[in-house]
Amino acid sequence: MAWFICVIILLLCSKSEQCTTGNASKLIEHTAAHFFEKMQSGKMYFIYFGKQVNPTIGLFIEQLEKSADVLEDYGISVAKVNCTNEHIAKYCTGEKLMKKVYLFRGGNVLKSFDTDTVFDVNAIVAHVLFTVLFDEVRYVHTIAELQSVERAAKGKADIVLGHVQVLGLPEHRALMETAFVYGVKYQFVLTTGGPVLTNMGVDDISSLTAGLWFLHCKGASQSQHSDPCPHTALRRALTTLHIYTFLQLMEAPLVSEASVEPSEVNMVHSHLQVPLLFLFSQPHTVALDRVTAQTLAWRLRGQVGLVLIHRESPDVKIPLEYNAAYRLPGEGSEVKYLILNNLEEVIDLFRDESTPEEEEEDDDNWATLDVLDDEVAESVYRDRGQSLDMDAVTELTADTFHSTVAESDYTVVLFYVKWDAVSMAFMQSYIEVSESLEDADVSDVELAVLDCGEWTDVCSAQKIRSFPTVRLYRPQEPSQPYQGMLGTESVNRFIMLSRLVSPVLLSSPDEVTSFLEGDLYQRHAAIAPVTVLGLFSSTADAGVPVFKEAAKALRGETMVGLFADRQAEIWAVEYSVTLPAILVSRGPTGQTEAHSLNLCMPDQLVTHIQRALLDTFSIQPSIEKCGQRAGQQAASEKRMIAKKAATVINGGHSAHLMKVHMDQIQTLKTEIESLKAHQQKEKHYLRAEIRATADALVQSQLALMESRAVNDTVEEGEERDGVTIHARHTCELWNSTSDRQTQHTIPFKCLGSLRNVLVFERKAIFLCPFKMASN
Amino acid sequence: MDSPILLLLALLVALVQCFSDDYHSHNSTRHHDYCVLGAGPAGLQMGHFLSKSQRDYIILERNSGPGSFFNIYPRHRKLISINKIYTGRRNREFNLRHDWNSLLSDRPDLLLQRVSRELYPDADSFPRYLSMYVKELGLKVQYGVDIGKIRASESESPRGRGYILTDQRGLDYTCRVLLVSTGLWDPQKVQFEGSDLVEGYESIPVDPEEYKDQAVLILGKGNSAFETAQSILGRASRIHLYSPSPVRLAWQTHYVGDLRAVNNELLDTYQLKSLDGLVEGGLEDIAIIRNGEDEKKRSGRKKKCRSSGKEKRGKLFLTLSELLDSSDGKNSSKVTATNLPVYHNDNFSLRQPYDRVIRCLGFRFNFSIFDGSARPPSSEGARGRLPGVTAWYEGRGTPDLFVLGTAAHSRDYRSSAGGFVHGFRYTVRAVHRVLELRYHSNSWPSIKLSISQLQSWLLRRVNEASGPYQMFGVLGDIILLRGSHCEYLEEFPLQALPQFSSLSGHQLSKHGLLVLVLQYGLNRTDSLGPGRAESEWTRAWRSNFLHPVLYYYDKLPTERDMRHRPVGWPLPRPKAVHHMIEDFLTEWDGPISHSQPLRRFLEHCLHTDLRAFYAESCFRFSLTNRKPPLFCRQGYLRKHGVVRNRQLWQHAHEAGLMLGGQDSASPDTDPAFPDYLTQAGASVSSAINLDF
Repeated sequence: MAWFICVIILLLCSKSEQCTTGNASKLIEHTAAHFFEKMQSGKMYFIYFGKQVNPTIGLFIEQLEKSADVLEDYGISVAKVNCTNEHIAKYCTGEKLMKKVYLFRGGNVLKSFDTDTVFDVNAIVAHVLFTVLFDEVRYVHTIAELQSVERAAKGKADIVLGHVQVLGLPEHRALMETAFVYGVKYQFVLTTGGPVLTNMGVDDISSLTAGLWFLHCKGASQSQHSDPCPHTALRRALTTLHIYTFLQLMEAPLVSEASVEPSEVNMVHSHLQVPLLFLFSQPHTVALDRVTAQTLAWRLRGQVGLVLIHRESPDVKIPLEYNAAYRLPGEGSEVKYLILNNLEEVIDLFRDESTPEEEEEDDDNWATLDVLDDEVAESVYRDRGQSLDMDAVTELTADTFHSTVAESDYTVVLFYVKWDAVSMAFMQSYIEVSESLEDADVSDVELAVLDCGEWTDVCSAQKIRSFPTVRLYRPQEPSQPYQGMLGTESVNRFIMLSRLVSPVLLSSPDEVTSFLEGDLYQRHAAIAPVTVLGLFSSTADAGVPVFKEAAKALRGETMVGLFADRQAEIWAVEYSVTLPAILVSRGPTGQTEAHSLNLCMPDQLVTHIQRALLDTFSIQPSIEKCGQRAGQQAASEKRMIAKKAATVINGGHSAHLMKVHMDQIQTLKTEIESLKAHQQKEKHYLRAEIRATADALVQSQLALMESRAVNDTVEEGEERDGVTIHARHTCELWNSTSDRQTQHTIPFKCLGSLRNVLVFERKAIFLCPFKMASN
Repeated sequence: MDSPILLLLALLVALVQCFSDDYHSHNSTRHHDYCVLGAGPAGLQMGHFLSKSQRDYIILERNSGPGSFFNIYPRHRKLISINKIYTGRRNREFNLRHDWNSLLSDRPDLLLQRVSRELYPDADSFPRYLSMYVKELGLKVQYGVDIGKIRASESESPRGRGYILTDQRGLDYTCRVLLVSTGLWDPQKVQFEGSDLVEGYESIPVDPEEYKDQAVLILGKGNSAFETAQSILGRASRIHLYSPSPVRLAWQTHYVGDLRAVNNELLDTYQLKSLDGLVEGGLEDIAIIRNGEDEKKRSGRKKKCRSSGKEKRGKLFLTLSELLDSSDGKNSSKVTATNLPVYHNDNFSLRQPYDRVIRCLGFRFNFSIFDGSARPPSSEGARGRLPGVTAWYEGRGTPDLFVLGTAAHSRDYRSSAGGFVHGFRYTVRAVHRVLELRYHSNSWPSIKLSISQLQSWLLRRVNEASGPYQMFGVLGDIILLRGSHCEYLEEFPLQALPQFSSLSGHQLSKHGLLVLVLQYGLNRTDSLGPGRAESEWTRAWRSNFLHPVLYYYDKLPTERDMRHRPVGWPLPRPKAVHHMIEDFLTEWDGPISHSQPLRRFLEHCLHTDLRAFYAESCFRFSLTNRKPPLFCRQGYLRKHGVVRNRQLWQHAHEAGLMLGGQDSASPDTDPAFPDYLTQAGASVSSAINLDF
């Protein structure tokens, strides 16, 4: 026994490689004469003949050196012969790179290996030992082969069946090392998968990379020819230590009996770090208890040691209520007493003990599955205790829907289903809208909701295809869908804007001025910071009805004015456009842009105006390189660059623009950095610029995204729309999500965190040399 | 004062109808694109769809009113189809789940409840309802046309082969498409020695007094047998029910054609030892013989043995045909000691004689009116009583002839509701959709949905749809996946899935399809026992009660797949399957138990993140991902994002689900795999928020 342990310790040491570091390598370099002399000695040699060394061979020699120490323990010397100096016929071939290793015994080649097969220490040891033990370790593939081995072994020896999916891995080595030591005692059998495993009760063969079974054939009677030997599986990883422990356990008696206190029982199991299970027996039930213990022992074999303790002995002082106890391995671990009612409980006990991690993992899995991972659903779910104040809105039914819609000047209807989290999240904002409408003293708007889960007919008739849907109904008019953000402020703005007459008919130049930046503008500036004015030379212009139609469609989005008069020419000249045209006004402080109109269909005009409503930018030809403008750049110039990039991206999907894209993005990043540097001085002034820059960034991202998604034809169309409308939208997001008072600072903060997001992002697209910029 | 006017009006209507009928019969061709045979519920249902799509059709009815079957049957005049008026809901579609009698129409109030408020309505109310249905929808029904012969037209006209129907006056009707909704009229009979002594369900007296103190043997254990037994339970001395198979209880088998609890009082009296009973045995090898041969002899001793004579005379004995053969070839029908089983087996259950033997064995399809060229074969199941039809209810071997209604029950005999009004009203609709494509190139109606809406749409269907609910396992919704959107087709006959494209006119894309089916669990459990219901959503696949199941296929199952599907499954093994946990209230709207598992399943099939995000998260995703999640793309990036209000923000923040931020690692870059996102960035939003 001591010898075994010694070997094991040796093996362990050599494996951990700590013992070998510092020692000189045991790899011998042979000369030709030396080689022939050794060959005669009858010892085993593992020799590599080499000439040139390339990195692969270099690595191999390194591994060969390591294996020298290990193989020495098995009486195998490892050597190499340098064929450039020495020439040994047959082995030193003419090739430059030699990839063969030979195993010699007494001058004969046992086997040759390719260096690719014996690629590291584990592989070398495994393969060499496998060859050496060729006669002792049987290789089986089919069930019939295994059965014949079993038949031969019955009554004589136990069988150790090892399975490795691939030869040359650490598991294979561990198995071979064990076989080397125990080869005389047990019949070792190796398999690399296949039907044999199904015999061992493995369900999923492909998922099992390695395994070991102990087949109790020695005790099995020879007469029962066809019966397979009972087997026990090693339930741990295939390492030398585990196999050793396992084999020791297999040797230990199935059930031991004792007449002392459990704490005093001393068995091989405690050295092997295996828990012990004690069953307490009474004189009159001894026979039964033994059967129980046997059954249990078979079930727990290899995992737990079983001891039957005779209670009647005066040394045993166990409280009578307990019938079992167990002791976990480890110094001074306590004996735990239990009352067990059936076998399964006991088995579960140790199953839990032995695989606590797996169990937990499983539980975790289900537990996390029970948690909502959708932020909208979760926040709504967390709010389930709060009942919504549905009194604030009108709850429509199939009976009241049509009458309500017909009666009110404006009916805004939210179509929802209660199992849709987004609907329910938005419902809260929607109810807040009703409050703000009340505050604003708006009485001609009926704010209503309709549950499509109940009034399914109405929703089908209204062709509601998504939830939530918000529609504005005006009597005698087709309904208008609301397509803006699902938030209080946006809906509120939509409603307020929808109540305005559209287009506002202007009759004099004064009114036009007022509309663009004067009183008329100011009155609605809060809800319509950007207004659109259509200029026509006369009311008879064919475009006027089209424009009016478009203005109707744009209700709720912006304020649209119409000035159809000869005097419109003045503005046309001033903004150097030809009539008909539109003016997009951003108030007295902002710019007013002019666009000529190419009037065709109302929807095209709508799209045109929507595009014009976005922040527009001018073009500057040069593209700045990253870092050039560090720090000192004037804010106005940066603004131009940012805008330029955005325009380029905004305007097109053409291929060559995409190519220069990365440069632009980098430029933008630099600009943001330098803008940040200026922020203390020019905070207020820079607000708009930074916002624009960030918008441009988003735009770039989107465009880039699109350029990469060219193949994805399904999505393409959708994203295009996203690109064109996005810039305005981001600003709106910031506006709508922030407090009015702190609005000035928010873009900076956003930008700050934004940058961090980008920096921390592993696959960040906008990686830019920040350090250069901030220097 | 009203009634004369009404009468006048009715007369007028009748006159006009006569006139138009007259006009029709003078029309030399009498050709119609569609002939519907029989103005029962199925025929009228089809009539409605044909009239709605403005097709050239006629409904031919031999009797003078619609639904004449119900003027006679059920004999005891109580319908056992549920007419549940109060469901606590106002959703019309949902309420149809609990209305087994009404036909489908666009009129919200054209329901049986207008005629009857009873849960189990009187049988007369059903033809009344059907008349109302015909009248209000203006269906073209021609009464008094008794079609005696149907043959396929010989000439191969360019419009297809067509059918020629000949009525009792020898008039021919030519039809391009024949829709047979004649129902089941012929009583099912079994031939055995003495079967002429047996009375039929169709002709027995319904007055219980006629059965006073009589011993009655009823052949059959279906609803008609039990209905008969129940009506005479208080008068008859002894009622025995005899048939080959044991009684199947509808509430155990979930099949409404099995014995309904409404009719099962006899089970109670049987098991509570009150002289009634059920016996199993074959019908072919029995014989009924009457003790009447020695009547004269007995009458001579009338005074002496009055009681015994009264007992025995004219009584019917049940015996086995083999006993008759063995004793004496010629006098086999005589009652002799050796002819009776009791002679051989003294405790034979049915040894006592009966006053009446009644046959209640159901009905069969009338094949006789079909000429060989137009006759659909007998079905394989249902003891050959029904015509064999394809999965889209076209007669096998009889193209352009479709079977509707109860006669089409062979597809789902003993499994679903296709033989009953509440089931076939949906299959008729499905057939009509097939017709619309085949003859008018109108493909199956579909709804285009964006993928982000699919989940709530599925939940909507699951929570209200009546078609898949009634026709569980037979009709299912098909969702054709098309990348960022999908096509939603309702109530497609599942067995016809291999022929999907040719029947629906829709093509499958490489993204595959989902099928939404409602079905009972396959593990037969004790319907009332403990553990009958599963409540843990992680074990939804073990649900026993009716629950939604989603099947995902990447390509259409073939006919072979269909044939080799596992026993009891409505569909072959899919690529992925999702059971939604059965729900006691049949409301599948729980965020944790229903919505989220469904979402995860869809994510698995679609390989995409289907979660919803607030605008802030979408903003971050847009900046940090090549492709932000679908919800952001279809919402936020179209300026349609969801803005959180303060309270919800707080909740989402506490839940640690908001993303992005200063000092946390950002979530995994690929938004397609939400699992990683779950734990990531817990502390994130707080950092941002404080900054604000």
